[in-house]
Amino acid sequence: MNAVALVKQVPDRNSVFRPAGPWIDESSLGYGINDYDRYAVEAALELREAGAVKQAVVVTAGPDEASQAIRTCLAMGMDRGIHLVCPRASLADPFRVAKALAGVVRAQDAGIVLAGLLAEDSGHGQVGGLVAGLLDMSWASAVTAVRFRDGKLEVERELESSRVAVVELELPAVVAVQTGANTPRYASLRGIMASRRKPVERIEPPELANPDSCDARIRSLRLAKPERAASAEILEGAPDDVAAALIPRIRSGAGIVLGGGAS
Amino acid sequence: MNRRVLVLAEPEGDGVTEVSHELLAAAFRLAGDGGPVSAVLPTPDASASMAAAETLGGAEVLLVEGPAHDGRTGEETAAAVRAAVEVTAADLVLLPHTATGWDAAPLLAARLETAVLTGVSSLQWSEDGLTAERQAFQGKFVHEVGTKRLPAVATVERGAFPARPAGSAAQVRTLASPLSLERRRSRLLEIRDAASEGVDLAASDVVVSAGRGMGGPEHLHLVEELASALGGAVGASRAVTDAGWLPHDRQIGSSGVTVAPKLYVACGISGAIQHLVGMRGSRFVVAVNKDPDAPIFGAADVGVVADVKDILPALTRALTGADG
Repeated sequence: MNAVALVKQVPDRNSVFRPAGPWIDESSLGYGINDYDRYAVEAALELREAGAVKQAVVVTAGPDEASQAIRTCLAMGMDRGIHLVCPRASLADPFRVAKALAGVVRAQDAGIVLAGLLAEDSGHGQVGGLVAGLLDMSWASAVTAVRFRDGKLEVERELESSRVAVVELELPAVVAVQTGANTPRYASLRGIMASRRKPVERIEPPELANPDSCDARIRSLRLAKPERAASAEILEGAPDDVAAALIPRIRSGAGIVLGGGAS
Repeated sequence: MNRRVLVLAEPEGDGVTEVSHELLAAAFRLAGDGGPVSAVLPTPDASASMAAAETLGGAEVLLVEGPAHDGRTGEETAAAVRAAVEVTAADLVLLPHTATGWDAAPLLAARLETAVLTGVSSLQWSEDGLTAERQAFQGKFVHEVGTKRLPAVATVERGAFPARPAGSAAQVRTLASPLSLERRRSRLLEIRDAASEGVDLAASDVVVSAGRGMGGPEHLHLVEELASALGGAVGASRAVTDAGWLPHDRQIGSSGVTVAPKLYVACGISGAIQHLVGMRGSRFVVAVNKDPDAPIFGAADVGVVADVKDILPALTRALTGADG
């Protein structure tokens, strides 16, 4: 029984993003692993190290450059990778991505599939659940802890208002891992060296070949900066001047008494 | 054109959750004049849920009843909604964008061979389907998406639609659940409160919150000093508590604490929707962030586009008169 982690390569968080029609201009961006997915990879590695699964397998879908995301995961310690090669634009439809991933997961003797809760770029937050539904596997989202118990999986999942649900899942199971569930490791130099010898399988799934396929369930129509309903008054200037301007605004706006040199 | 819309109603106390009434409001708008609006309420005991069902004003309510509906897992909710989709022939299913919706919507969508429009704040019918507005890039952009596939499934952001007042249901029917205890593959064991170290953020008049833009735990003293000068408590964004810079009980947002202080100071917080829902009840909001496009400025009364490490000490000095 193996653990399979689903990862996505996304634009670096600190990039300057420019909307261009239905999506952003992706021509000059750097890419890295979706932050949420690092927690899924770490959870897979911890399960393997505890002897709960045999292999930890990483799967991604994306263009040739996405192989770098697989390499990073292999350097972190994953055993092997599978790369579904497709145009980046094909990733816009979570259903077709899930369908392609499900086809691969089915052949991996997966006891547990781990996805990040959502992708930092599109934020659809559903690929894990769609894979679970398509493969009829049990499922939980927003998972902060994972443990095997009596041949089942026990997970903790986040609810609103600082409450936690403890849920038992029969195997095989898919979980979407929430950030903070663990402390993702960084690749060691040794890990990077070892990763070069680890196998990566390349597959070109027909369902992802054409981004504009009429089979798409969700289409991206437009991306734009939000219109500000209530726009903030913006203060500028030297820090001490800004501070002096803030104090009367806080006093009248918040209606609180301020002490010290605030007068 | 009349469209059939189905919403998930979640029981709470003697009624249903606030967001259930918000979903109903969205559903009546989308169904057109007098179009049929249905609500599905999964329950282990239909008779005990009758009072809750009766608050779903104008809706045709389906109580999907069975012993497997005791835990509100994604599997349970998706099975009940799926059964209701078949009975009502719904064109559109609305779930709340909450822990329940996150869990249930993709399972339901997979069964309906479609994808979910997640976290939508508006919805409308188009010539050949449905379009919706949501957020992408953690709140930096509004993302318009469309689907031609019906029935469509959407999770609706809390607060996106004004709640429909409670009133009598048009009809209440009970349906035997297709999900049996034997077939069920996930089971709720318990719900508990996450450990709290006793910081009473929710009761504080002033909250000063730290975000990723603080740069590292070594700079958090700037937030603590400002909070102390303002007589307030220290909060945090999820990124900060995940990184272990501050304990989890300081986290403000949908999965943490909800605050509504007189003054909220957001320091280096970008303002993802998950954070905003935890502080939007604040009376006066000051945001400091280097990125002029940070969504937090859309939720602020006063914004300062600058490095927190410059502004915070200056404000603390001005408040305490430390520099005379």
